[in-house]
Amino acid sequence: MITLTHFLVVSACIFAAGMYAVLARRNAIMVLVGIELIINAAILNLVAFGRYDSTHYGGQVFAVFAIVLAAAGVAVALAIILNVYQHYKTINPEDIRDLKEK
Amino acid sequence: MQATQFHITSLLDQVISGLPGLLPELVLIAAFVLSIFSGVFVDRLWRHSTLAVALLGMIAAAVCSGLELRTPAAENLLFGTVLPDAFAGYIRIFIAAACILFALSIVANPDFTAHRKKTADLYSVLIAVHIGLNLMVMATHWLMLFVAIELVSIGSYIMVGYLAKEARQTEAAMKYALFGAVCSAVMLYGLSLLYGFTGSLEFTAQPFIDGLTATPPLLTTLALLLVFTGIGFKLSFVPFHFWSPDVYQGAPTPVTAFLSTAPKIAGMAMLVRILYAWPESSAPAQSLHTMLLVAAIATMLLGNLAALRQANVKRMMAYSSIGHTGFLMMAALAYSAGDYTVLLFYLAVYTIMNMGVFMLADHIESRTGATDLAAYNGLGKRVPLAMVCFVILVISLTGIPPTAGFVSKLLIFSVVFERWQATGNPGMIGLLIVGALTTVISLFYYFKVPLNAFLKKPDADQTMETAPLSGGLLWLIVILSGATLVFGIFPQWLTNWFG
Repeated sequence: MITLTHFLVVSACIFAAGMYAVLARRNAIMVLVGIELIINAAILNLVAFGRYDSTHYGGQVFAVFAIVLAAAGVAVALAIILNVYQHYKTINPEDIRDLKEK
Repeated sequence: MQATQFHITSLLDQVISGLPGLLPELVLIAAFVLSIFSGVFVDRLWRHSTLAVALLGMIAAAVCSGLELRTPAAENLLFGTVLPDAFAGYIRIFIAAACILFALSIVANPDFTAHRKKTADLYSVLIAVHIGLNLMVMATHWLMLFVAIELVSIGSYIMVGYLAKEARQTEAAMKYALFGAVCSAVMLYGLSLLYGFTGSLEFTAQPFIDGLTATPPLLTTLALLLVFTGIGFKLSFVPFHFWSPDVYQGAPTPVTAFLSTAPKIAGMAMLVRILYAWPESSAPAQSLHTMLLVAAIATMLLGNLAALRQANVKRMMAYSSIGHTGFLMMAALAYSAGDYTVLLFYLAVYTIMNMGVFMLADHIESRTGATDLAAYNGLGKRVPLAMVCFVILVISLTGIPPTAGFVSKLLIFSVVFERWQATGNPGMIGLLIVGALTTVISLFYYFKVPLNAFLKKPDADQTMETAPLSGGLLWLIVILSGATLVFGIFPQWLTNWFG
């Protein structure tokens, strides 16, 4: 029997994995993947909780919106990363630091 | 099963009855569609057609918001997702003003006008961001709030990366997009937890408040912290501020002007809505209050102290706008439900001053190429009118009479003091002390600008050429500077309007 707790534990694990990918900052694409993981953890939560909200289906609706918005955000971020690559020939955030505290 | 059945007609009726409250947004949506068409087809015939569509749309939206002030909505519309009340009406007008000023400063900026991609798409993006900002101000539902924040964020990433002329601009855009996406993802996770605790997404509704109060305080604090990561990013308060100096310095200057003004106003309105949606004595409201109080004090101190040692004008102004965020948070915390005159006054004045000062930095940059404080040496003689306006705006940002900045700071201090007397909350007196202290600190960096421009001699190797530029933008800035003086001497003109 799979309960709500199982869903929450899985989503917390995905969230932690996504957070790690974001904080490790090896590569801008990996950061985007990490962001995607965090969003998916949230979507899993929303759908799991949405089961108990049978009058408004708020969770499910929210999940659909979140998927679309995540796709839009990633599309823009990829275009920007492409521009960065044209100027710097690298997409490692650690190497791109013209703008910083003097 | 009665409740779960779909009654299409009644649902449609509810949607249609709610639409008049969103008239400004409907106008903007029409303008958005038109602007895309004119960008593709008409721009070849007349260069400024998209600009004209965008400006007309935004002016019409502002007028509609003004008309709606007469009949503000008393309760949430469209299934409890938006509340277009009078407070939202005023802020929508400020946002429209900031957007119009932004559009005008793009036309005057040589980098944008000479760009191979043309500016038509930028106006379409601007209208989309305008819709997002308006929705952010009115949202009373987490879904609406999230969609609005994302609409604004994605549009802003495009604006920052639009030119992609120099390496720095792309770097700023990448930092902004990655950091922003992380913050909104974390916020979404927090929202999913809040939804799980309460079973409701409408944060002003009773079931949500009941659910939140029934949850263990530790869990609600955790979820609220996650949610406020996203909101903190939009407002750039400490500790979610570190993207803003880099992005503000790297972005094209008109974009910086816009980003440091419009999303901040909308974010502040959103913060006030969330903060006062819940009864003040409830545990979640208390923990939120404490969190924001600490953040406000840290933001004021850090913003103003870090601004002291900046050499780049845009970076300095970025820190100054972080400092102002702290000030605005102080106003939001002291705001007592129902009386929003003080907050609105500060927001209106902030719009004028901040747009003015960044537009001026843009003007000076494109005329003389000066971006560092050291390069401002002797500019008082070369561009006298611009520097005089700069001095007026800087005086207003510091909060010295007879400018509107002084009146707004005075009003906030007196509200905070009254609040302290009424509640005896030591946090309020802390805010007051830090606010006064940082106002003094801010004098030291703001006055570097007039000091360098009027009293120091330019370096010998500095070029004395001044690029010819049409004076239209400058006259607009003169009007804005004049407005800060007028509202400083006659603040009742604004406050009576808010009454």
